[in-house]
Amino acid sequence: MKQLCFAITALAVFSAVPAAAQDKLVVSVWGGSWRDMIANIIAKKFTAETKAQVEFITGGTIDRLNKEKLAKGNPESDITFTTSHVGWLYANDGLFEQLDLGKVPNAMNLVDQAKISPYHIGTWAYVYTIGFRPDLVKDMAFESWADLWKPEMKGKLAAPDFDPSHLITIAAMLSGGDAASWEKGQGKLKELKPNFKAFYTNDANSQQLIANGETPVQVILSMNAHYMAGEGVPIRLVIPKEGAVLGIDTVAIMKGSKKADLAYKFINAALDPEVQAEVAKFKKGSPAVLNAKLDPAIAGLPGVFSTADQWNKQAIVIEHKLRAAKTAEWRKWFAENIMN
Amino acid sequence: MTDRPFLRTFVSPAALCALAFVAALAAVMQYSVRAYVPGSLEPGGLTLANFAALLKPLYGRVFLDTVWICFLTAFWTLIVGYPLAYALVHARNVALKSAILVISVTPLFLGEVVRTYSWIVVLGNNGFVNSMLLKAGVIAQPMQLMFTRFGVVIALVHVTLPVMVIMLAAALAHIDPDYERAAESLGAGPIRAFLTVTLPLSLPGIIAGVTTSFAWTFSAFATPQLIGGGQVNMVSNLVYQLGFASFNFPFAASLSVAGLVLTFAVLALLRAAARPLERIGPN
Repeated sequence: MKQLCFAITALAVFSAVPAAAQDKLVVSVWGGSWRDMIANIIAKKFTAETKAQVEFITGGTIDRLNKEKLAKGNPESDITFTTSHVGWLYANDGLFEQLDLGKVPNAMNLVDQAKISPYHIGTWAYVYTIGFRPDLVKDMAFESWADLWKPEMKGKLAAPDFDPSHLITIAAMLSGGDAASWEKGQGKLKELKPNFKAFYTNDANSQQLIANGETPVQVILSMNAHYMAGEGVPIRLVIPKEGAVLGIDTVAIMKGSKKADLAYKFINAALDPEVQAEVAKFKKGSPAVLNAKLDPAIAGLPGVFSTADQWNKQAIVIEHKLRAAKTAEWRKWFAENIMN
Repeated sequence: MTDRPFLRTFVSPAALCALAFVAALAAVMQYSVRAYVPGSLEPGGLTLANFAALLKPLYGRVFLDTVWICFLTAFWTLIVGYPLAYALVHARNVALKSAILVISVTPLFLGEVVRTYSWIVVLGNNGFVNSMLLKAGVIAQPMQLMFTRFGVVIALVHVTLPVMVIMLAAALAHIDPDYERAAESLGAGPIRAFLTVTLPLSLPGIIAGVTTSFAWTFSAFATPQLIGGGQVNMVSNLVYQLGFASFNFPFAASLSVAGLVLTFAVLALLRAAARPLERIGPN
């Protein structure tokens, strides 16, 4: 009798808890401040709305891609955050679910450039552009990308070693081509070789090399430059007249996820205009929706786009699918002809 | 030989680990002969194109550079490590012994990345070395230490030093001090006694230390990546640059296989070159 009473009580307690409260959404994301930002801003809103908890799987871009590839059909996560062109690698391999944006009301305000594919959409953006130390590189304004080729830039420049697509596209543009006809810029890019002092391998490396003045000019991630400026490093970030190379981080639902409904709610929370404004403030990047009301101090930062006009005029978009297909070829050519 | 069944139990974890390594190696080998399909994670059909691409002079240069950097590192680690190991074995003061041990082994307790970032602070244009030399008036302009082979070797020597010191100390500790005393009693000075007795007897330790340092350095990644800044590249950096950063796993695998073959070849050469020296050591 005692046992029966206990069982009935336990049943009553569990049935009183909303079903969603026992749910858990697994989100795959980079570690560090990215995970913290998603946990503290997006997941907080999502949990408040759904009572479902969020658990994170963190790792580098390639590690997570490999793990999901091995777990194809039975994904480790329900949601994946990754960069736009890497998202195409997931999509091409059948790892992403096709999105039904009707289930994401906030996607109505998504900026056109953030509609990456039927499988993944942008959540925030940044640019790779020219950042420099005016105290160390005097009398340089960098109004155009072509200024990087000036002789006085010899031995001063750093660029990412993990992605040459920015400079490859810029060199092609300056040579009358574009990313698709990138070969046109090969000669131009070879002319830039003497100006490279180093190639940085990650964000921390980029920050350290510009902070200690080792490489006073960088093709730099706008968020990194703003972060270092906030730390007191005298960095100036410019948007050259040709524009800055856009990067978009995206979100997608993993194919085979058993929490697709919750996943859509999570994506909707990510695109909420208030959440987007908070994300922009935290990372000093661009919101992916046009109805986010940004703090004027954030909206005024170079590389933070808050209007359709800014997106259209200041962003150089390398077509994401092309970038996914060409990355290896570009990387190999860059390593063989510029880095070694 | 008697059958001892408990040995099987003891050996089985190692056997399982070996099996996992063999499986991983087989996967790498399999990837190295598959075609890269742009924009896809799945490799294509069988091909030798990845290995054919390695015939470009660039790759030969990087492989040679890697071997040269390994030799320089092993050599300078020996030069720095031998006195430390000797002092470690012969110091009578316990505090001094402990201090030498801590100095020698501490690099093992720091992560490679942390250690390397510290070297950026030391070797940079505004770093410790340049600041001191500028203040002392030795140089008028900062020396370029970062992004040079010299800087990479300095940092690699620091990384490799604990391995060398431990191996040399083990070899030196096995030399009976009476040999050196006997030489001195027969009229040899301390330097001559060291050069004619201790040094030859420690050759097996030197050979083991140099060989291990060489192999240890061959797989270095973070140090050449961060200190070299893309201007000094070793095989592991090429694997990262051309394979992983661009998702071209088949090419990365072929580079890894070529690197592995080169490592075995160089180690075999080292072994062959060291064989006559080993006969000098204690038997």
